[in-house]
Amino acid sequence: MITFLELLVNGISIGAVYALIALGFVVIFKATDVVNFAHASLLLAGGYVVARLHAAIGFWPALLAGIAVAAVLGALVEFLVIRRSKAATHGVLAIVTIGVDIVLTTELTRRIGAEVLAMGDPWGSRVVHLGPVPVAETRLVALVTAALLIAVFLLAFKFTGWGVAMRATAEDPETAALMGVRLGRVSLSAWAVAGALAAVAALFLCVFPTPGLDRGASFAALKAFPAAILGGLDSTTGALVGGLVVGVTEALMTGYQNDLTFLGRGIGDVAPFLVMIAILLLRPAGLFGTKELARV
Amino acid sequence: MSRHLIRAGVLAAFVVVPFYLEGFWLQAGLFAMSAAVGAIGLNLLTGATGQLSMGHAFFLAVGAYAYVYFAAEPTGSLGGLGLPTPLAAVLAVVLSGAAGGLFSPIAGRLKGAYLGIATLALIFLGQHLLFNAGPVTGGFNGRAVPPLELFGFVFSDAPELVVMDVPFGALERLWFLGGAVLLAAALFARGVLRGRPGRAMNTIRDHEIAAGVMGVPVARYRAGVFVLSSMYGGLAGVLLALVFQRTVPDYFGMLLSLDYLAMIVIGGLGSVGGAVIGAVFVSLLPQLLTRYGDALPLVAAPGSGDGVSPAEAARLLYGAAVVAVVLFLPGGLLGLLHSLRRRLPGLRLPLSANPTPSPETRS
Amino acid sequence: MSTNRKAVVAALVSLALAATACASGKATGGDGQASATGGDGVKTGPGVTADTITLSLLTDLTGPYASLGKSLTQAQQLYFDQVNQAGGVCGRKIETVVRDHGYDAQKAMASYAEVAPKTAAIPQFIGSPMVTALKDKINADKVLTIPMAWATGLLGSEAIQVTGTTYDVDMINGVDFLVKEKGLKSGDKIGHLYFEGDYGESALAGSTYAAGKLGLTVVEQKIKATDQDMTAQVAAFKKAGVKAVLVSVGPRQAASLVGVALAGGMDVPFMGSNSAYSPQLLDTPAAPALLKDFYYVTAGAPISAPLPAYQKLIADYGAKYAGQPLDSGVAAGWTAAVIVGDALRKACESKDLSRAGILAAHRSQKAWEAGLGGTPMDFSVYDRPASRSSYIVKPDKDAVGGATLVKEAAVSELAEGYTVPTAG
Repeated sequence: MITFLELLVNGISIGAVYALIALGFVVIFKATDVVNFAHASLLLAGGYVVARLHAAIGFWPALLAGIAVAAVLGALVEFLVIRRSKAATHGVLAIVTIGVDIVLTTELTRRIGAEVLAMGDPWGSRVVHLGPVPVAETRLVALVTAALLIAVFLLAFKFTGWGVAMRATAEDPETAALMGVRLGRVSLSAWAVAGALAAVAALFLCVFPTPGLDRGASFAALKAFPAAILGGLDSTTGALVGGLVVGVTEALMTGYQNDLTFLGRGIGDVAPFLVMIAILLLRPAGLFGTKELARV
Repeated sequence: MSRHLIRAGVLAAFVVVPFYLEGFWLQAGLFAMSAAVGAIGLNLLTGATGQLSMGHAFFLAVGAYAYVYFAAEPTGSLGGLGLPTPLAAVLAVVLSGAAGGLFSPIAGRLKGAYLGIATLALIFLGQHLLFNAGPVTGGFNGRAVPPLELFGFVFSDAPELVVMDVPFGALERLWFLGGAVLLAAALFARGVLRGRPGRAMNTIRDHEIAAGVMGVPVARYRAGVFVLSSMYGGLAGVLLALVFQRTVPDYFGMLLSLDYLAMIVIGGLGSVGGAVIGAVFVSLLPQLLTRYGDALPLVAAPGSGDGVSPAEAARLLYGAAVVAVVLFLPGGLLGLLHSLRRRLPGLRLPLSANPTPSPETRS
Repeated sequence: MSTNRKAVVAALVSLALAATACASGKATGGDGQASATGGDGVKTGPGVTADTITLSLLTDLTGPYASLGKSLTQAQQLYFDQVNQAGGVCGRKIETVVRDHGYDAQKAMASYAEVAPKTAAIPQFIGSPMVTALKDKINADKVLTIPMAWATGLLGSEAIQVTGTTYDVDMINGVDFLVKEKGLKSGDKIGHLYFEGDYGESALAGSTYAAGKLGLTVVEQKIKATDQDMTAQVAAFKKAGVKAVLVSVGPRQAASLVGVALAGGMDVPFMGSNSAYSPQLLDTPAAPALLKDFYYVTAGAPISAPLPAYQKLIADYGAKYAGQPLDSGVAAGWTAAVIVGDALRKACESKDLSRAGILAAHRSQKAWEAGLGGTPMDFSVYDRPASRSSYIVKPDKDAVGGATLVKEAAVSELAEGYTVPTAG
């Protein structure tokens, strides 16, 4: 039982990090209808800046710098690439982001080289005991941060002008534009916000229990894809739920691997995708996604 | 008239190549041919019908491994059916199609980004199966690929064959097989695209609801094109296995799928010629840069430490090419060739005048 | 149909062209790389001219094993530079061709196809999936090849020389150490965290064998190279109550494993394969956990071992590549380079620098030892590991290369009696 609780808590805490990444996908998808495959490289960029700067300027300023750089990078991708290829379909835009990802990731991994870069975070490898269950402090911070950020987003979508503009754009870009929403600004800000979220996620992916940032760090972003889809690509709540589902599935399947050998070893990596497929079979737009309305 | 001459010239050039070029180039050419077959299939799905797929590598794996399993004699811990190799190849392609058909509940209902990421699941599932289904796939070791034997003619290095003083090994023999397979695959795809199905597919891509209103069974078409593109993937996989002579599971990962998407975007979406040009570009670029990297400025010799190594340069160029093509060349490299031809009427390129070019552009 | 006729005519013309133009480099009517005998009476083959010997390094400088590839390549280039300064081999200078395949099987095949026709031997080939894919070709070409991977699947080919032990033998020696020195006993459970693929699964074969002999139970956890966080794996090991954990993964995962285990109060010894540790980890927050109770097994002595050959290597490498880590890749690359260098010298003695000659010279050595420590390697057999003795090594912040010797190279009785599974 303790093992189950331990796995569950750990699944939830890593799921919170996935949720942060998935939230980045969702924000961009809502604003521009594009799936951003370059998210992994934004993540790597944010993490790289934090890792390189923390020794010189301290952890918190470095984190702010990382967030800023990733946000600017996201905005640049929107401004230089996405905006300028409006004519293409969304599928093609998704492929363009793959191109962007390849360029950025190649350059960043070249810079990182063979090193494993520590993030210089204040939490270290401390562990907190929730009753009988040990949890890494970093993971608790991640969980709280993710919950706060997602709450902020939910409120912002509902109550701020920016949120209303974004929802209107997601609903019907043409009408939104006629009503005075500046689509360019909405889209640019969405990409910047997604970049910032990626940097925060990078921090939590590269602190304890992992040793630091290295060239493979961005692979974790792949797991946020099923999270974003099974929650619904245009739903903030969906990102949170999706992230948690993926994290918990992965943790439980890994923890009980020895009781599940008939599925083959290493099933923990595949399981989130299988859950995603099962959910898509029942709900093609994900758990919380809106079914597209037909407009002829 | 001149078009026929050009075709004959292309054919002649194709025949002469294996008599002159060394193994490295033949192998690179065969990789490009296999990639072209796979890219044609993906272009039917993604380019012509607008369905994003990131799972193409999975179908290549199905084709490659199914061929090996059907053709190999069972040995020790490894199973096999020991079927005649041409039959095994056909069955492998059919099985890839069936695998695509199994996915049709998803492929028929989802579109765009949702389908793209759902197909990503195939990659992870595929890798899991390749590593764990040891008796069929050979696990991490992979399996040796039995050479194809067509009417008593074996596509391998033995028995020795010398044609006009040139030793004809596996690569030289496969060169002609690859060419024939690619030609057939291209002609068939062109037929599909130019006929009724092609128009229906384009309508689904451009306006799904209009397609439905006009009487196109959208879900059935989506599933059908998915199956067809899976079969092309399977065929590419069989060809690749024959060139590799050994299947290894690591190869069929996500990067391979991304390569295929890059091919069709760079070459030109929705056409056979575009897929072929893109496949040649993406398969040959890294090899050219690695081989001639020493002669290029800015590219450091591998192992020399600092600077951009040829492999990195190839990836940077190829990522940038994807972006640049979408921004500046909406028709891809193929569109560029067309507009060059229009602007310079004196320039004779072996392209037909209609939007879907003939497959001879491969050379 | 006139078109068809034209096509046929054109095809015939092209065939005629091909026939007449047999001046093409390929048209030699047989083996284009046939051996010749040079002016100095030495038989030569591909990659060997009157004054050069070309060796190819097929490495990974941009993929997941980039750090290993860089150390290996630099160490080997250093060795061959020194050989050339001392006058070369057989009156010939050694030239190295480096090809980076980025751990991609297709690029590796392409690189091999490119360099093979002008290569005498391959002192470095990274990646067992790549070597496995090319195994039959390498054997047919008779190119002496040193793979930089130690999976059992690579044994059994005459042309491929796996240096030292394989992963399974290392793990057997590691389990033996745990039982003898760390108090494990029959009935205990032992965890094994391993990578999907030949590295992890070769190692697993060894641990399973040793556990079977010693009455231990292995608790398996398989992960992928892209996994980063080992929390769930630690929870599973804890649940099973393991008394020690074997680690056959990458350095990053090993660091996560020991870090999580230490923080969660799981106080057991860890025994890694030689690819599970990298000195770069000592600059990360994982350092305390690694320094506590983590060991690794390796066939090659750590570079900090008190051997004159290594002391010279440390000095020379440090002079040429200042500030670069002296990790196990440097020692492994150097050793492989020396093996190839010695094979070339021996081949020269018998005046046969053809590939077959180099290979025969190499295989004639029954007890190769070049002052690099360890038990001598037997190159005359290739269906078994060249050696069965492994060092036990431990991370150490102050030692050169970040690791220090715990136990001298030894063959455990268990490893002695182990039969390596034949490759599929």
